Parts: sequence; structure tokens; C-alpha cells
Amino acid sequence: MKYLLLSILLGLVFSCVEISDDLTLNNDGSGTLRYKINLSASKIKVNSILALDSIDGNPVPSKSQISSKINEFVRILDAQAGISNVLVEENYTDYIFKFSCDFTSVKNLQEGIKLSLAQISNNKWSQPSESSWLSWDGNTLVRTIPSYVTQQIKNYKIDNEDLLKEGIYTSIARFQRPVLRFENKLGTLSKNQMAVMVRTNTFDLKANQHLLDNTIVLAPR
Amino acid sequence: MNNSVKFALLVVVSLVVCSNPIAQLKGIQSEQLLPKDAVTVFSINNISLLQKIAMDDLVNYEFMSEVHQELFDGSTSGKTLKDAGLDFNQRLNLFYGKTFTHELTGFTFGVSDQKALFEVFDDFQELQSTIPGLKIYGTFFNHLLIKNNNAILIRIEPTMDYIDEVTDSIWYARGNETPFEFFDSAPQDDQILNEQTFEDDTNTNFYPEASENPSIKNYYELRDSVQAVLQQEELTRVIDELFVDNINLHNTDARFAAQLTHNAEGVFYLDNARNLDKSQGLWYFQTFLPNLYKDLQELYAGNVILGDLFLRDNQIDFEVEALYGPSLGSIYAQMNDARFDSNVLKYIPASSPAYFTYNINLEQAYEQAYQILLPLLSDEKNAQIAMNVLTLELLNEFIDKEALFDTYKGSMFGAFNGVKKIKTKKVVFSYDEETFAYQEQETEADADMPIFTLGFSTARADIPEMVLKHLARLSSRVQHFENYWRINNAILDAAPLYILNTGKLLIFTNDEELARLHSSGYGNLALTKKQSKLARKSGSMYGSVDITKTLDRFPTEVLTPRNAEIVNSLKRKSGHLELTSSETTEAHTTFKLSYRFESDESTGKHLLDLVNSLYLIYTLNP
Repeated sequence: MKYLLLSILLGLVFSCVEISDDLTLNNDGSGTLRYKINLSASKIKVNSILALDSIDGNPVPSKSQISSKINEFVRILDAQAGISNVLVEENYTDYIFKFSCDFTSVKNLQEGIKLSLAQISNNKWSQPSESSWLSWDGNTLVRTIPSYVTQQIKNYKIDNEDLLKEGIYTSIARFQRPVLRFENKLGTLSKNQMAVMVRTNTFDLKANQHLLDNTIVLAPR
Repeated sequence: MNNSVKFALLVVVSLVVCSNPIAQLKGIQSEQLLPKDAVTVFSINNISLLQKIAMDDLVNYEFMSEVHQELFDGSTSGKTLKDAGLDFNQRLNLFYGKTFTHELTGFTFGVSDQKALFEVFDDFQELQSTIPGLKIYGTFFNHLLIKNNNAILIRIEPTMDYIDEVTDSIWYARGNETPFEFFDSAPQDDQILNEQTFEDDTNTNFYPEASENPSIKNYYELRDSVQAVLQQEELTRVIDELFVDNINLHNTDARFAAQLTHNAEGVFYLDNARNLDKSQGLWYFQTFLPNLYKDLQELYAGNVILGDLFLRDNQIDFEVEALYGPSLGSIYAQMNDARFDSNVLKYIPASSPAYFTYNINLEQAYEQAYQILLPLLSDEKNAQIAMNVLTLELLNEFIDKEALFDTYKGSMFGAFNGVKKIKTKKVVFSYDEETFAYQEQETEADADMPIFTLGFSTARADIPEMVLKHLARLSSRVQHFENYWRINNAILDAAPLYILNTGKLLIFTNDEELARLHSSGYGNLALTKKQSKLARKSGSMYGSVDITKTLDRFPTEVLTPRNAEIVNSLKRKSGHLELTSSETTEAHTTFKLSYRFESDESTGKHLLDLVNSLYLIYTLNP
């Protein structure tokens, strides 16, 4: 059940979560992924959950168990080919978790994350359908939200739609040259034209897990 | 669905399906088939519900499918309780019992139509019976014994310790080596944790292989045989006791027999003394401190809990009487010999949907317990106990007991005052328009927080004040205001805790309004005279819960989705719960739990609707 450690917490407080995935892609296909989860708006609920032994028969992880699992993931990911500078910041006062890593190619990034998740979760996440959520051909980036995230959102049971609408998912893609066009109608282009941001609330994302999918075409070099 | 839920469903249904108490007092009846080793019995004597709820309506409730599955082993599709050939003019008695070596569970009931009974209990095979008039039927787990249209369905399980003890004895007596050497080659812990790998690996050789000689049993085969034999021996003993020697709980415990004469829909019996006596968890005491164990038995002798369940118009009452032996009774009597401090009532608002008061005399209880328990402990010739006794006696001599028990005087109250918005901080992510550069901003946020107040009477307000002053010097989170103290972020690392030290009461609350505006009590807004009188007149404890109001004010956002759904379901169908207690004497204390609701429907239908909605939520959200 260890693979549930984080998903339990995230699943229970998904209504007030703020998630940000921030991908910086260099022209050569290398880059940096920053992933942030902000539960500060739900810290009372998180604290009350962490005070319990179990919920609906599932054991509630302690802070040290969560931290241990996160660090295990970091250690494994850091050893993967083409992945470097894996960093995690854990803030257990406001419940903000920040992860970042550098990668040499999006293929290495996806493969590294997939293998690392599979190792810490006893292969539960290593499904073929999760093989690709990013692709880059030097001019066009096609990105979706990884299925291990969308699955959490999909499984979340709605008890209060208004609260679910307060959760935010932000997806940012940054580049070294200007963006020519992008497909997602929810997207906005930064004033310097080098980044695209797509934002939605968790209620809409639950209804349509492909809401943040985007295809971004860059200006020729 | 777990066993406790299934058992609860069976109890509720049983409560509804039996009828006519007058018939139950004639001749040999189902209650006279209860084994004398039963320590817990719930006996149903339903007077009116069956008349108010048609059996056709009952069997149509969704949860009844679960009951039918459980009762009939799931083998008889389409059959319902009303087809089961049960005699609804007799009691249905659910029991749990234990001896030092076995556990017994089951129920006794009347049979009106044996042909119909075996159409639903169709897994049972008739077994040989040497007792005239007794028919014995069995499945792998259960046995059904029928005599004169009275039946007992019983499951007997030897305890694991007993099975191991007998198995080991035979195994080693036959000259065998230890059967557990194979554990040396078992996978290490980290490998075992990988459930997937373990389950899929068919080569895992955890258990000893069957012997090469098929006529010689390996350890686990022997263990299974021992279990079966012990089960059979105990069953034979119980059968002889019930049907040959005519010994049963009804004729061996007059308190139980007397309880059955009550004109109540349900009767509850728990022999706490025997429960303690047969408790497997006390093996340490039994083995290493036999004298102390014997003294404990004497202390608990006569400790029985008896209860009556009444289903009245728009009201369900559960009246419980706790009986004590002289020693235990004297401790409880001293503990409850306390003057109620009416000051506590000033701090409970009349609008409070749920509150309790609790009133004990700790000093007297301590002195009495010291007098009774210390000699028991002192007699024990055990080094650890002797050290504990010495420590206890030294503390008794050196500690200023008067100061201690004046600080906590014994009158206590608690109240749930609904939900209020409290100010907290949250962090939000923001991005500039130029480059979407990321920033974090701390902003104020509102959060719903259940408001609780807990307080107790004190005659030494100076002691908590001294502690708080020192804490304030140590941490800036502890702040002193004119009438109260505030400890920031004390609750769930997010909300402040307020402490009011009024001189007579020490009160803890997360209600800022109470601390700032009502530090001398709620005045006109406090409990009404009628409410106060009920609390004052109750013995050691009083509790009141307006379930509808409580649930309406409870923030479902702090619950899991499933629990929130249960709460929402209960909001639509619930009433008022009240707990009262009598004065405690050396012989007994009486408690009464009343559930009242406002509705045109009958009490039975209300209860069944409630159970059904909970069942649906559980089964729809597995």
C-alpha cells in the first residue's frame, strides 16, 4: 500500500490543491521540470487527516513516512540516465512540496520518472499507457498531463463541487525562442512570447482530463 | 462488508422480527438453550414492531439481502427471513461466549416450520444424535441443534493458543523435530513486503511439503486434525450440558433470568467478571502474577452490565444497569460522591447542539482505590510490582494531594458550539505577465473550524496561571490578554487555542467569541433553567446531542467524501440523543440513553430507514 502514501493525502484534499507543472525546454531538447504541489489552503484538513491512524481502512502515512518516500523517489530518479540535479523542498508547515530536475531529453525525463515511480510503487504505475506524455521534435512540443496524475483526479469523489472549483492546475511550458502558435484555447502567451500557460480548476479537469493538453509550435531558429 | 457490520444488521433485524412477549414465558423456550459460558447476550423480545412493519416491507429493504446471505450462507437464493420457518413468538438470543480454551458464538430461536427452515438452511446435513428428541445438523463451521421446536445455531472455535499447545504436544511426543526450520530460508522482510512478487512467485516454498508417506501427517495437517477434534469435543460437552444436564445460562445466572422478565423489546447482558476471567489478554497476570490475578478477579466479582432496550413512540431508550461487587462498588461510589458545580453550566450556550457534563470526586476515588488496590499489589512477591508499590507509596506521602485535587476538582463540561470561520494563512502561486515568472504570496484565508469548549472546576486557579506565565516567557505563541490566554496555532498548527482561568473554572476553547465576549459566562444565552436542571439532576454524567443540529453545523469539508456522505444522509433522518445517569451506590449505577425523533412514521420504520441508508452508503462506496 505504500504507493498510496502520497495519493491518499492528495486525493483527500484535492479540492483545495494548487498544482503547478513548469517545463523549461531548451532548443537542444534538454531542460528543467519543476513540479509544485501547494496544500496550504487545506492545511487544517491535512493536519486533521495526519492526526488519524487510518481513513476508510487505508493507513494514513506519517510526515516521516511521506518524507522518506519522497526522498526515496529523488534518490532513484537522480540515478537515472539523462537526469540530474534532482531537488525536493518539503514544507510541512504550509504543506508545499517543490520538485525539480534537469534532463537531457524529454525521452529520458519520461523514462526516468516512469522507472522511478515503478520502483517506489512496486510496478503499480508502470503501465504501457503512461509511456508518453511529452514529445518534442525540435520545433513542436506536444504535452499532456501524465496519467498517474489524471487518474488521481478522475478517482476523486465529488462531495462539494464549489470546493473542487477552488483547486487549480497550472501547466507552463517555457522555451528559448518565441512561440509561433499553440492549440489549447485555454492557453495564454507570455508578453515575451517565450512561454505558454494553461490553467484550469480541478473540477473542470476532473470532467475532462485532457483539458490541459497542448501542442505548441515554435518559431523557426 | 465486515463482520461487525453484519452482526449489527442481524441485531437490528432481529429486533424487528420477533414478537409477542407473553408467549415467550411459557414452557421451554429458546433462551433456555443459551450455553452457560455465554458472557454477552442480546435477547430480542419484540412486542410491537412486527405488528407495525409488515414482513413484506422488511424483506424489501436493501440491507436485508446481506442478512439473508449471512443467515442462509448465501446458498438459498430468493429465500427471505419470512420463509425461514422461524417462530416469531419466541425470543431470538444472540450470544458470544468463551472458556479458557474455546470461543462460542451463535443464536437461539424458536422453530415453527422445520421443513421451511431446512429449505433455507439447506447446507446442513443431519448428524447422528444419541440424545432422545435432539436432532443435530452440521456444516463445516456451524451446528444446528433442534429440540422441541427450539433451536441453537452455534459455532465453536478452539483458541489458536490451545490448538498450538495440543498440536505441539502431540508433534514432539511423536519424536518430531521443530517444524519451523524452513523459516530460516524464508525471504527477507523487504522481499516479503513486495506483495506482488510474493504472490506471483509460485516457487516460494514457505510451508512444509506434504510428507512422502501419505499416511503420516505434516505439522499443519496434524494441526487441522487437532482443531477438528477439539471443536468436536467442545461441541459434545456443550450438547451434554444443555440437553442432558439441563445446564444453561438462564438457570445458572439468576440476574440474566430476571432481566428476561422485563417487558422490554431487547435485553442486553454482559458478565464483565467472567469476561475478565476468561480474557486471553491477561495471560501475563494469570501466568506470572497469579495472586494479583486472583485479587483482580475478586475485585471484579459481581460486575455485570444489564440493559433493556425499549422501542417507544418516536423514542428508543436503552437503559443500562452496571452492578458491582463490594470492593469495586466502593471505589465507584466514592468517585461519584461529588457536588455538582453549577458554574460549568454558565459556559454552555443554550444553542449548543451537543454538550456533556461529568461530575466525579477524584480525591475520594483516589483514597478509596489506594486503600483497596495497594494491599493487593503489596501482597504480590514480584520485584517490578514491589518497586511500583514503593513509588506509589512515596508519591502518596510526598505529593501535596490537596493541591493536586483542588486544581482538578472533578466537575467537567464539554460543548460543541457549531462551526465558525477562522482566519488562517495560505500561500498562493502567482505568475507575472511578462515571462510567467513564478512567485509565492502569503494571503489571509477563511477556514471552517468546529468550535469546541472543554472546562473543569478548580479551587487552585493560581497553579494553571503559574504554568501559563512560565510558558509565555518561553514562547511568543503564548500571549496574555485581559481575561484570557491565547496560544497561537495550537490547533492543527493553524488555529489559536484560548484558555480562560476564571478563578473557579479553567476553560479551553477555540471560540474567540467566548474568550473575548463571554469570559464571565453566557448569561441569558446560557442553558435554560430546564436544560440546566436536567444536567444538575443527572448523576455522574449527562449528555445531550441534537443530532440534526450537530450534523447541520458540522463542516463536511473536513471529512472524507464517504464520511461526508454518511453525515449528509443522517442529516435528513435523525433526532435527539440524551444520556443520563443515576446516583452511584456501592451496588450499582444506572445509565439511560434516549433517542427521540419527530416523525409520523413508526419507531421501527425510522430505525430501519436509518440502517438502510447507512447500508446503502457503505455498499455503494466499498
